[in-house]
Amino acid sequence: MLELRDRQNTLLAIALTAATVAYLGWKVVESPEQALQFAFNGLSVGAIYALLAMGFTLVYSTVWFFDLYYGAAAAIGAYGVYYLRSQEALGGQYEVSHPSLNIAFGVITAAVVAWALHTRYYRRLSRRYGERTVTVAGGVIAVLAGLYMAVVLTFPTEMNTLLSPALGAIVALIVYAVVRRGYRATFGAPEPAAVVAAATAVGVLAGGAIALAVAGAAGSRLYLSWAVSCVLAGAVGLALYRGLYVYMLERARSPLIMLVATLGVLLALTAATTIVFEATPRPLPDAFGSDPWTIGGANIKGFNVFTIVMAFVGFAGLWVLLRRTSFGKSVRAVGDDEEVSKVVGINTTVVIAVVFFIGAAYAAFAGILTGHDTAIQPRMGLLLLLKGWIASVVGGIGNLYGAIVGGFVLGMIEQFGIWDLAGEWRDVVSFGVLILFLSFWPKGLLPRRD
Amino acid sequence: MAISAQTDADAAAEAPTPGLITRLARGNIELWANLLVITWAIVFMAWQGTGFAITIGTVFAIWAILAVSLNLVVGFTGLLSVGHVGFFGIGAYTMAVLTSNASYEAARTDAIPTYGWPFFAALPVAVVLAGVVAVVVGVAFNRFRDDIFVLVSFGFAIIAFNTFLNLREITRGAFGIHEIEKPAIGGWVIDGELEFLLFSLALLALVVLVSWLVVSSSFGRVLTAIREDEEAIAVFGYRVTHYKLAIWVISAMMAGLAGGLFASWTSFIDPNSFILLESMLLVSIVILGGLATIWGSLLGAMAFVLMEEGMRFLPFIPPEYVGQARQIVLGVLLVLLMLFRPQGLVGKYRL
Repeated sequence: MLELRDRQNTLLAIALTAATVAYLGWKVVESPEQALQFAFNGLSVGAIYALLAMGFTLVYSTVWFFDLYYGAAAAIGAYGVYYLRSQEALGGQYEVSHPSLNIAFGVITAAVVAWALHTRYYRRLSRRYGERTVTVAGGVIAVLAGLYMAVVLTFPTEMNTLLSPALGAIVALIVYAVVRRGYRATFGAPEPAAVVAAATAVGVLAGGAIALAVAGAAGSRLYLSWAVSCVLAGAVGLALYRGLYVYMLERARSPLIMLVATLGVLLALTAATTIVFEATPRPLPDAFGSDPWTIGGANIKGFNVFTIVMAFVGFAGLWVLLRRTSFGKSVRAVGDDEEVSKVVGINTTVVIAVVFFIGAAYAAFAGILTGHDTAIQPRMGLLLLLKGWIASVVGGIGNLYGAIVGGFVLGMIEQFGIWDLAGEWRDVVSFGVLILFLSFWPKGLLPRRD
Repeated sequence: MAISAQTDADAAAEAPTPGLITRLARGNIELWANLLVITWAIVFMAWQGTGFAITIGTVFAIWAILAVSLNLVVGFTGLLSVGHVGFFGIGAYTMAVLTSNASYEAARTDAIPTYGWPFFAALPVAVVLAGVVAVVVGVAFNRFRDDIFVLVSFGFAIIAFNTFLNLREITRGAFGIHEIEKPAIGGWVIDGELEFLLFSLALLALVVLVSWLVVSSSFGRVLTAIREDEEAIAVFGYRVTHYKLAIWVISAMMAGLAGGLFASWTSFIDPNSFILLESMLLVSIVILGGLATIWGSLLGAMAFVLMEEGMRFLPFIPPEYVGQARQIVLGVLLVLLMLFRPQGLVGKYRL
């Protein structure tokens, strides 16, 4: 019985694939220019789905429940850019500013910074300087960080000036670390004081140069707002995990309970976004590359090419993180077995919290890219979440390669599917694809190896 | 549950016997939830008067039919469906298309076909059509479980919504359908608010009765067994897929009934009444009230309706944000329930 069913499924799957390929071939022969156009649109839509699916997969394959906050993260990212850049988006006539929102995100930032300092430094430093001193110092740093974030959010028009010191400091630290590590890796010996001094000097120079360049370039504000929005969405994701999901997971380990709880989070955050920004669709300011080029009869926008490139950059980033760093090793260990990871000394809470941060930041970035391409509205998050979810199922759930492949495949099928139908049926096409895939390839194109 | 009852009894034996009411009320969340919602309802009705009570009552009846029917699937069978609004919409659109006013449509440029059926002829069609669609959908969905079932049920809701929005020749898309019939028996048209309320409550009573018959029958016990352990009950020779399909179709037909009632009550529908969000709110109602109890769904629907009306009177919420504020409260409640009481206020089953 089972074998017969499997064989039927395989035959049906082959027939479906053959039909799809035949349909595509016929379409390409019929009108090559249009086919090129649809293929390009498919790639650029697919790139966004791929980004969504990658973040979603990262979180899912670590905690093994579906986090629907992910959708809200996409909306937070897009609305973050709108909030910070509404002046440009609306032609300089109107600017939204909500002091309570600035304070709220300042508090979240402070909480996340406090948590990070506590988990990273508290034990080590409190032995040397005493618990009270360390607590007070950490608290002061966290409050300052929160204030800094609140100030940046309050004066979005001066964003590049305000953020340039922070950006410079980050660049300086990275350069410093890279030089020192590079020396150690090349010569295999602890670096002498001269090298440390040189690393410091190079770091300060590079950081200063970056800071000056950013402070002087008004055009950098848009891209800084991207970064701030992604960080904020990630911080909310991290705070949700550490402040809420941890306690929930202690009580019940049913994935459905987590699903319903995160559904509550999504409902509440979507409604809050609607209250703050109203339900009407909003534009994001023009990013670069909004004038189309015509190549081989197809209109191709530079920004969409950038989107496609970003999907691969995002994939490479995650791949390096998961496969080439010790942190990635712990992420995979936690995904394989959380209890055992705990036993071998991995701080699972920290690992999962960082995974939530990264996942939400990916969602936010995908939301921003969508927003620049079309428009944003509070409910966009749910649909993006579902598309990312579908793409990860199509690609093979829990597999990073599957996520990027699934995203592009879904985008292509969706775009070619609406060639003969009208564009408004695209959501129907994607869910049709989902149901077909779940029925015939329940494990997806690239199944996860266990 | 059994353990807490034991400790309560021990405590009662040691302490100087408290009164009956104290004993009942101690730690009994179900009792408190019931008391809270019912008192709230009575206070509101008394304060706002009968006109208010009648409107609220009809809204409540429609949500309650939906919640009770969804509970059959979510609570009693353990399939978390977020696509119920699709069947609700199918019922509503069937009613709207079959009974819409011919002379009104003829005067429009974008006229849709009219049939001029009476309400009571269209209602069974609405119910049956929802059931037929449910059979097709159910056969396709039968193999899915748990979170994948949630995902595909999301998909059904989205496909249904897009169909209502884009099948313009029949539904007139975003412009919606006007002038939908009121129910009429002989020459008596049920168009008064009070009559319509009574009619809705009668339908609600019918749905509750059918649901009660379903869950208290041997069929209902098999459903509960499927929820607890699908493989185990399959070993005993029950065709699990048939049972799941049957309850799915029954539940969808009830939602179709609610849809027909809703279309006739508002006499205007457009796709915005059938968005995915409504479905998510509906799931929240079912979980808030309690899984696997019919009474819980009634309670949840009542709490949901009262929540919106209660917020209208809070001075610090502008009237246009009431719906959103309710959604925030519902979301937070959902999180708190999942944290502290996964079976809902008066529920019998944890997700």
